[in-house]
Amino acid sequence: MRWPQPLPRFLGPLVCLLSLTWAAPLLAALPAALPPLVQPASNEHHVGKVIWLELVTPNLAAAKQFYGGLFGWTFQDIHTPSTSYALALLDGRPVCGLYQHVIPPGEHRQPAWLTFIAVRDADATQQLILQQRGQMLAAPHTYPQRGRQGVFSDPQGAVFAILASSSGDPADLLAAPGEWIWSSLIAHEPDTDAAFYQSVFGYEVFDSTQESESTEHLILATDDYARASVNALPDDSARRHAHWLNFARVTDTEQMTARVQQLGGQVLVEPRVDRHGGKVAVVADFSGAPFGLLEWVEGQSKEAMQ
Amino acid sequence: MSAALRRRWLWSALGGAVIVLLQGCVAGGGGYYDGGGVDVAYGADYYEPFGYVYGGWGPGYRVGPPRGGEGWHHRDYGGGKAPAYHPAPPSRSMPSIPSRHR
Repeated sequence: MRWPQPLPRFLGPLVCLLSLTWAAPLLAALPAALPPLVQPASNEHHVGKVIWLELVTPNLAAAKQFYGGLFGWTFQDIHTPSTSYALALLDGRPVCGLYQHVIPPGEHRQPAWLTFIAVRDADATQQLILQQRGQMLAAPHTYPQRGRQGVFSDPQGAVFAILASSSGDPADLLAAPGEWIWSSLIAHEPDTDAAFYQSVFGYEVFDSTQESESTEHLILATDDYARASVNALPDDSARRHAHWLNFARVTDTEQMTARVQQLGGQVLVEPRVDRHGGKVAVVADFSGAPFGLLEWVEGQSKEAMQ
Repeated sequence: MSAALRRRWLWSALGGAVIVLLQGCVAGGGGYYDGGGVDVAYGADYYEPFGYVYGGWGPGYRVGPPRGGEGWHHRDYGGGKAPAYHPAPPSRSMPSIPSRHR
């Protein structure tokens, strides 16, 4: 083996030192973690409840501007050398997370909100999901303070996450305007997809389809609360896939859709009166991530009427 | 280059390479949101398929939550096709979303 000309004695140690300098911040960042879901910790658990949402966006700064301008959220940055993440807060309470993932040039990707459903045991739930022909996209992993979570897709391709929160689940309270209030699973076959979620999360399933309706409309419930609807994908376009759609509570859907447009977003489904008597709309943020707006007038629920 | 100096250089460079490799593993994350995830990212790459089109929500297309207590459709599956899921018992009333305030 022939060596090049004598190298300076300090070169090897220098390489080592430089490498350590690079690696140290990353290693130091490891303990950085998401805060607990519930503070102070509770012992409440609501399996099947949507307890967290996360936006994957190509531009975190623009996302903060958009959602801050729309809902009045403020943000708490959680930066590491390789991750840009912000907690969105409403009146100091965490409502969701925003994660920046830059889309490589030339790639077409659809930013989206990821729906986290509460479980007690992430690993046992993983087994159930796989048994029921779901797919694992990211194996359950423990995040300090937050709990254990993983990402999956159902047999029809809708992506969702599970979270076994180590601090308990948020209490069952009415969402305030600017908080997430409802979720819908839009599926190719609501019937079979509802069966999948029932097997995994133990939902009660109610068929809310009216005689006059042509599309199936199911309600998933746990703890005697409605947790989500399951709706059929409108079948007039091939460019549709099963997905979860989450709705934020608003007081005036018309006004908010106008605001969405002012902030650079677009209206995908114009405001319309829905089954509960309030208006709903579907909009997309500046990057195309879809979400819903939903009016909910107090006194509309059974509990309140009683 | 003396043998001792060569060995020292070799071991130092090897150590550096190992650290660089370890750094790559840490930064690589393996989480769901792609690459960078140290502890707040989950992995791979959560972007939906591109080109999704909304629309086709006809007048009867409803996605909102029930108000609670209203009737629901408990089909008579006696002679027809049963759903893939197990329907709630007919005695159960349709629940609503939580109404208790913070």
